[in-house]
Amino acid sequence: MNKVIIIGAGPSGLEAAITCREQGLDVLVLDEYMIAGGRLLGQLYEQPDGTWWNGLEESKIRYEKALELGTRFLLNTPVNNIVQTNEHWTVYTDTESFTAKHLLLATGAAETPVPVPGWTLPGVMSVGAAQVMTNVHRVKPGNRGVIIGVNVLSTAIAMELKLAGIEVVAMTLPVNSQVTNESSQPKEVMNSLLHVSHMAPSKFIKLGSRLMKNDFMKNMGVTFFPKTGVKIWDIPIQLRKAVVEIYGDNEVQGVIVATIDSKGDVVGGSEEKIKADFVCIAGGLYPLAELAAVAGCSFYYSEELGGYVPLHSERMETNLDGLYVAGNITGIEGAKVAIAQGKTAGLTIAHHAGIPGLEKDIQTSIESIERARDKAYIQFHPGVKKGKELLLAEWQNRLGE
Amino acid sequence: MQNEKMIVCRCEEVTYKELMETKKTYNCSARELKLRTRAGMGYCGGRTCRGMIDKIAMFQDSPKNNKEVSLKYQPPIRPVSFTDLGGVKQ
Ligand SMILES: Cc1cc2nc3c(=O)[nH]c(=O)nc-3n(C[C@H](O)[C@H](O)[C@H](O)COP(=O)(O)OP(=O)(O)OC[C@H]3O[C@@H](n4cnc5c(N)ncnc54)[C@H](O)[C@@H]3O)c2cc1C
Repeated sequence: MNKVIIIGAGPSGLEAAITCREQGLDVLVLDEYMIAGGRLLGQLYEQPDGTWWNGLEESKIRYEKALELGTRFLLNTPVNNIVQTNEHWTVYTDTESFTAKHLLLATGAAETPVPVPGWTLPGVMSVGAAQVMTNVHRVKPGNRGVIIGVNVLSTAIAMELKLAGIEVVAMTLPVNSQVTNESSQPKEVMNSLLHVSHMAPSKFIKLGSRLMKNDFMKNMGVTFFPKTGVKIWDIPIQLRKAVVEIYGDNEVQGVIVATIDSKGDVVGGSEEKIKADFVCIAGGLYPLAELAAVAGCSFYYSEELGGYVPLHSERMETNLDGLYVAGNITGIEGAKVAIAQGKTAGLTIAHHAGIPGLEKDIQTSIESIERARDKAYIQFHPGVKKGKELLLAEWQNRLGE
Repeated sequence: MQNEKMIVCRCEEVTYKELMETKKTYNCSARELKLRTRAGMGYCGGRTCRGMIDKIAMFQDSPKNNKEVSLKYQPPIRPVSFTDLGGVKQ
């Protein structure tokens, strides 16, 4: 039997593995992907201090450190079920099962798909897939792309595509339907964009973010948003247009865009074609908590955290004995927060495994999660701090019941 | 092509129109939508369309369940080949 099993070799899982090994615990890490690093692998951007955050390298450093410390890894190994029996956890993969007293779920996040007519054509992909192709595998997804969905992640990835010499001819909204709701509302999108304004060299957005603090101004902003869009890194961002269809015979040949009013409804007769050889759909991220659900964890829905998250303590414990969570499964945030959470989870596990004297380290590590959150370059939801507070209150509430 | 013909569940090829009409006719929950149309019951286990079924179920302000995941997850949460499932050696 293993002491600790960690599912997910992303930044939080790797950091937890390192922390547990430093405390002398025996650790097995399972990941379904063939390379360790999770979503950190695809990240590539310039930080405010002028240095570059290169996810490929950051992943490699942590993976090698974990290996040096004697962590065992099984990559290419999807986990399809976990079950709690007699005070230990059994983890099922396609061909084998493993048991451990302590199990950490560090399964990260997944992309929310947004359907647009024609989205099943070859050449349509999620924006994260384009990121992985470009930054991890170094393969161009195409030469001329359109990005549907304007949010923090798609803006960051649009810039990465540009760096790789791929033309992004437009970034625009998906057509309004019951399944696209906020992502097809110009005002909602404008609102969320204001929080990435520091990343944009565009005067319009920078100026706008200061002016648009109240609803009236936001409405005006949307009404007067230039029909031709504003450019960020030369990519036209259009909040007054939406893709109504992706067309092509056997693969993507382009998109049909139409003008929309400030409520997101299409203005008839305004349709025009834009040629493209690939299309990215960016619907945002949600915590990947399937295994926590199968295990029977208590859940909490939080818009600010990106969806359903397993209820957990500040120390990363769930309501089930021996089951812990860290990273984006606890809410959508950047890699540095995930790393800090991995450390806390590792220390908490060591504490429960009987290693004495960790209390102070645990408290310090909880504080460093807060610090990483406050300093985060990318914030996926402006209300993430509030979301975390509500979640903690709910944890204490239900614990009392 | 219009929104109506748009496919929501790729595995079972269930369209937006079919799901919206089912919702309007029966005013059903996410789970009932799934059982009536098979959306989310295909090969991928609802990995892609789960969230969309949830949203369609919220049409006209049907309330959201914020304490429990509305569509149940069932193991295996990833596809497993029959060979592996049966433990057959190749
Ligand atoms: C497409 C995409 C792009 C992103 N881009 C950025 C960005 O540019 N900047 C930024 O700061 N943040 C970005 N993020 C957020 C990102 O999730 C965090 O930065 C960080 O990587 C979260 O770390 P983690 O350890 O929680 O999870 P992840 O890094 O997602 O790692 C989770 C790991 O778990 C594995 N896994 C999941 N389920 C199973 C299973 N059942 N069996 C076996 N293995 C499993 C996965 O293969 C993965 O390797 C992005 C996220 C996504 C999804």
